[in-house]
Amino acid sequence: MTTDPIETLDADPLGLAPQVSRELRPCASYTLRVNGFERPVTDAWIGESLLYVLRERLGLAGAKDGCEQGECGACSVQVDGQLVAGCLVPAALAADSEINTVEGLSSGGGASDVQQALAASGAVQCGYCTPGLAMAVHDLLQRNHRPTEVEARQALCGNLCRCTGYRGVLAAVQTVADARAQEAEEAEAAVAAAAVAEEAPAEQPAAPAAEAAPTEAPAAVEPEPAVEPPVYADADAWIEHVPQPPAEPAPVPAQAPAPAEQPYGDGAGAYDTGVYDTSALTAAQPSIPAQAVDDQVYYQPQGYPEQPYQATPAHGTYVPTGYPDGHQQQNGYDTGYDAPVYEPTPAHGTPLPGTAHDGTPPHGTPYADPHPHGAPAEGGAPAGVPYGATPAHGIRLPEDDHAS
Amino acid sequence: MLPASLDEAVDALAAAPAAVPVAGATDLMEAVNAGRLRPAALVGLGRITELRGWRYEDGGTAVLGAGLTHARMDRPDFAALIPALADAARTAGPPQVRNVGTLGGNIVTAAPAGDTLPVLTALEATVTLARSGGTREVPVSHLLTGLDPVRPGELLTWVRVPLLHAPQVFLKATGRSGPARATASVALVLDPARRAVRCAVGAVAPVPLRPLEAEAWVAGCIDWDGSREIDPVATAAFGEYVAAACVPDNYGAEGAWEAVTEGPTAAAVRLRRTVSVLARRALGRALK
Ligand SMILES: Cc1cc2nc3c(=O)[nH]c(=O)nc-3n(C[C@H](O)[C@H](O)[C@H](O)COP(=O)(O)OP(=O)(O)OC[C@H]3O[C@@H](n4cnc5c(N)ncnc54)[C@H](O)[C@@H]3O)c2cc1C
Ligand code: FES
Ligand code: FES
Repeated sequence: MTTDPIETLDADPLGLAPQVSRELRPCASYTLRVNGFERPVTDAWIGESLLYVLRERLGLAGAKDGCEQGECGACSVQVDGQLVAGCLVPAALAADSEINTVEGLSSGGGASDVQQALAASGAVQCGYCTPGLAMAVHDLLQRNHRPTEVEARQALCGNLCRCTGYRGVLAAVQTVADARAQEAEEAEAAVAAAAVAEEAPAEQPAAPAAEAAPTEAPAAVEPEPAVEPPVYADADAWIEHVPQPPAEPAPVPAQAPAPAEQPYGDGAGAYDTGVYDTSALTAAQPSIPAQAVDDQVYYQPQGYPEQPYQATPAHGTYVPTGYPDGHQQQNGYDTGYDAPVYEPTPAHGTPLPGTAHDGTPPHGTPYADPHPHGAPAEGGAPAGVPYGATPAHGIRLPEDDHAS
Repeated sequence: MLPASLDEAVDALAAAPAAVPVAGATDLMEAVNAGRLRPAALVGLGRITELRGWRYEDGGTAVLGAGLTHARMDRPDFAALIPALADAARTAGPPQVRNVGTLGGNIVTAAPAGDTLPVLTALEATVTLARSGGTREVPVSHLLTGLDPVRPGELLTWVRVPLLHAPQVFLKATGRSGPARATASVALVLDPARRAVRCAVGAVAPVPLRPLEAEAWVAGCIDWDGSREIDPVATAAFGEYVAAACVPDNYGAEGAWEAVTEGPTAAAVRLRRTVSVLARRALGRALK
């Protein structure tokens, strides 16, 4: 572990280690149980948040860091089955808790029904809030299978989205709730039919129903009884103050590799999420070379002409030729202008060649013409204000005289 | 470290006085993330299950564990016991924070906008502080005003709240419709046995304020034996009375302690309006 470049880098994110002694920066080693996998964390400062440890030490970058103050919900994860702000959980104290992150939602291989509904209903624009919202919606639908709009709004009020206006998210909640209810109904009908066929009472409707609805491992739908569902499905179960264990079994998908042979964790320099099995990727799409996790080879799509990749010029790059008349063909398609000779943008204030203008002077440089508006009527700038600087508010400017 | 019992926790704190107790960590980690706090060691209280529930005591008292979360206090069984505290817990931040934020943490943080604080003040709650080898009982108001603060190595363990079996209301004004800290809050409880109205105003001062004169006056206006009715004019006057008592004329002024000669500041007028509406509504709802 100590030879892991990520580990050594992150153990000292601010480069403070040489100056700050152990006493000022007490550290701890512990093991976190994330999405059913044991993830060791060594020598981490005790003040590190779960969000930081997940992202920077364990490479689980799904939860986002929006504010680090509990306000935005972008870091939402579940700890012991409860939705919490990952940025406000001391990671060292979550050591023997069950942690579920947004990566666990898609552990079945594809996006979960919640994630698909969010994408389909336009709840994703920049996407920064989306992992948090996916966890919040997932958490809501675990506790409450048929949330009303008000209940959904209350459950999601801790997740800020600056882009979408929340309508799409609320629609996604209803979509998933409806789909799951229908699935459960169908499963129940199938069970009932089977029971009638066998002329035997359906004793364990749960097991076949769960088989019939294998949406995704962690959020397997509990079949609803046909009666009116309670507002909080677990309301009667919650009598004790002891935190309830997570509603569902540890979300280790059956087809996922066992913790012992998990393909990540050794990740020398790799930035992997621990969920995507690259061998599965290779198997599914044999025509695309798998992105090897530990040699940083960029994937070169086939079908494009073999040629060195020519980067798009950076914004603001100086293009001396502009739009010429006889622009040429390049790379097999029409670029619209000649292959430019890229030159870096000159630093601010550098005189441009060929222009009469000397370039913008740095801020605060006195103007060459001390009286661009003509000499001030009342004897120039007050003492102490170097001419050229913006005068303090309330000082009469020459223009004021014209105005009055 | 995560002690599993109260005794272990106080012993751990006695052994390492610089260690910081951590309940839900919602206030603590905010300070750590902002660089305002660098804990020497953490003593997690989350595994002390005895503190996460409540029990009853003779004399009509509920003994609430410091580890009760806001989410737990919001549930119907608790709301039937102490409705105002449930109302306060319901508004104390987004679900992610209420799921873990605790009553004890709210009291020890003693933020001006702490939502349980006016309720506990109006209920005249007392808290138990435990240290290795002993406990002591302190009125919550003494704790909040700093008259008798939590000492190093002490844990807040229990909060004793009288069960009044009468209406109680908590109302909060915030700057937005989503979860937010209070700009002003009012907790009002009726105590029919003592024929008293107790009211506390939160978030307008560093600690919750009790408008004692207004309470005494309005208690005299209520027909305690009958239908507990009150003249709407008296309700409105109570609101004004509470606001005037809790918001000084120079509220928000530059030199807050200088004498004000020109009447209340604009900020004071605005805040008084808020407080008076909250207090009027709280009384109206309690007597409805
Ligand atoms: C986004 C956000 C919104 C919020 N909104 C509100 C709001 O609207 N209203 C409101 O009132 N609060 C709000 N809060 C504040 C916070 O959630 C509450 O104050 C909460 O009750 C704190 O409890 P905690 O268990 O998280 O405390 P912690 O953060 O664990 O602890 C806070 C302090 O108390 C000490 N402490 C905790 N428990 C004990 C104990 N048993 N004995 C001795 N010392 C102890 C700790 O050492 C620490 O110094 C908000 C917080 C956030 C992050
Ligand atoms: S980053 Fe945790 S709530 Fe914003
Ligand atoms: S999609 Fe941009 S913040 Fe929500």
